[in-house]
Amino acid sequence: MFSPTNIRVGFYLASRQIARASLWTTGLIVFVMLLTFLNLVVVTGILVGLIEGINEDYRTEYTGDLILSALPSKDYIENTSAVASFLRTLPEVTMLDLRYQAGGTVEANYLSRTSDTEKANATGAQIVGIDPVAENAFTGLGSHIIDGAYLAPGDYDQILIGNLLLAQYAFGEQPGLSPLTNVYPGSKVRITIGDITREMTVKGVVKSKVGQLATSIFMPAGELRTLAGRTDQNVAQIAVRLTPGSDPDAFQKLLLDSGIGEKAKVQTFEQSIPNGVADIKNTFAMLGNGFSSIGLVVAGITIFIVIFINAITRRKFIGILKGIGVAGAAIEISYIFQSLFYALIGSGIGLVVLYGFLVPAVAAHPIDFPFSDGILVAPALDTFVRILLLVGATVVAGYLPARMIVRKNTLDSILGRN
Amino acid sequence: MIEVKHLVKSFKDGERITTVLKGIDLTVADGEFIAIMGRSGAGKSTLMYQMSLLDEPTEGDVVVDGCSTREMSTEAETRMRLTMFGYVFQDYALLPDLTALENVVLPLLMQGQSVREAEVVAREALTEVGLERRFANLPSQLSGGEQQRAGIARAIAHGPSVLFADEPTANLDRESSDTIMTLFKELHGAGQTTIMVTHEEEYARVAERIIMLDEGRIISDEPVRDIGVP
Repeated sequence: MFSPTNIRVGFYLASRQIARASLWTTGLIVFVMLLTFLNLVVVTGILVGLIEGINEDYRTEYTGDLILSALPSKDYIENTSAVASFLRTLPEVTMLDLRYQAGGTVEANYLSRTSDTEKANATGAQIVGIDPVAENAFTGLGSHIIDGAYLAPGDYDQILIGNLLLAQYAFGEQPGLSPLTNVYPGSKVRITIGDITREMTVKGVVKSKVGQLATSIFMPAGELRTLAGRTDQNVAQIAVRLTPGSDPDAFQKLLLDSGIGEKAKVQTFEQSIPNGVADIKNTFAMLGNGFSSIGLVVAGITIFIVIFINAITRRKFIGILKGIGVAGAAIEISYIFQSLFYALIGSGIGLVVLYGFLVPAVAAHPIDFPFSDGILVAPALDTFVRILLLVGATVVAGYLPARMIVRKNTLDSILGRN
Repeated sequence: MIEVKHLVKSFKDGERITTVLKGIDLTVADGEFIAIMGRSGAGKSTLMYQMSLLDEPTEGDVVVDGCSTREMSTEAETRMRLTMFGYVFQDYALLPDLTALENVVLPLLMQGQSVREAEVVAREALTEVGLERRFANLPSQLSGGEQQRAGIARAIAHGPSVLFADEPTANLDRESSDTIMTLFKELHGAGQTTIMVTHEEEYARVAERIIMLDEGRIISDEPVRDIGVP
């Protein structure tokens, strides 16, 4: 079928048919191909990007590229200063962020509560001790203040509180979470860690889509160490930022090989995200592929109908072509070339729209989902595979009707007989 | 040379079988110009379709240069039509998306010529039929007579052994018809074997032999001078 002569004649026929076809018809078919391409790439890209947004938020706002945390049997990373010093010697490391952590409770209505039977306006929270300047440089925590102000290095008895700990910012009632009511910047709250309780003032509210930030209370590290009765310098977390282009997995291996795994749990940012998120990502990718498959079938049917109508209205001429000795295969190939043209032009314009407009636009203005800033994920390899799928489906959809018409009796086609 | 041996062609329409050709025997020698005549429904076009391998007979055989086509594959028939036959259709049958030149180029490309070679040959053929100024025109930009001349150029460009013409003047005015018949006469003069179906006696006279069909049978097969046509 695919002899050089058949291909040459098929191309000759197809190129002339396309060149002399109605511009509107060609434009419409290419537009359908463009929409199909975008449907194939963008639907999955948004669904995956929604979860990828969580990953990115985690990386930029919380873990960095890699995070070292206390071993399950410990509350802190042993010999933190040695670990941090070692990390600072590595060329891949651009920045570290050391955090103390302790579990505690925060109570708001302790002054107005008249009896012990009255329900306390209190909630449990992760209390994080930070160096405000280092934390802001590492995660930009200061930019997440939606009410009040960020911590200053010399602040005393001041805290930042995560938005999900406050009723006015939480998503309604959630099991296991009883946010504080009537707490605003300037409100006094009582923080309890172990046996020590201290009154502190809310300086600002942190809003983040990273759960760990939205349910935490931040205070200067020295304050937390006092509250927790800690005299050592061992922190619970060290977030590590690597030089751009460094591979977190390779760096994790390097750290583990160096024996740091005996002092701390070493995780890449992806590993530190709860397992469910990865499952959701896979599920969304599957859903996206499902929607895309429907788009692919619709595109296939569209091309099938277009080529079928084209071929059926040209049945007489197809008969004449066969009559004067043009091989049926050459005619079929001409329709394959036409289908290829539509699919490639549609995909080409789609690539320009995708990488020239959509991806940068969504990156600059992420989609505001409640739990992440959704981005459009369209890796070049995946996009290439989807183009191949579209082209393949289109070629088959173009070939089948052409074959149906070409196989009809030559004379019947010429004379228009059924 | 084409030999038609006891050719029968029937059409089935449900239970009803209509036999259009009822055992035709006919020989066309190289260089002959034959006109097939007869009233409507006599079977003249059907006979030409069988002889030109555009259709398959129900019974009998068409032998082309000693080669039986009875058991020939579709691909071999297509190849034979491409290399040995040329066709002129009643309604010109030019491809509407192709210019006059491209219409003539197409079968030449199929024969393996390059586009450049094919265009040279096609230009010569179009010039031969008087369309040297119409190479780039689409069929819709040509008159009926010009379209038919382009059709003839396409049919003769590759130098076919046999030229088949099915009512080539049926849709043309008098002047165009005369031009077309003059072309056929010139081609025959150059040795072109031609088989033409026509219902116009005046143009049948251009041939050297007229075969009359009636109800699927040859009722006469005479040289033009013998049937009293000047």
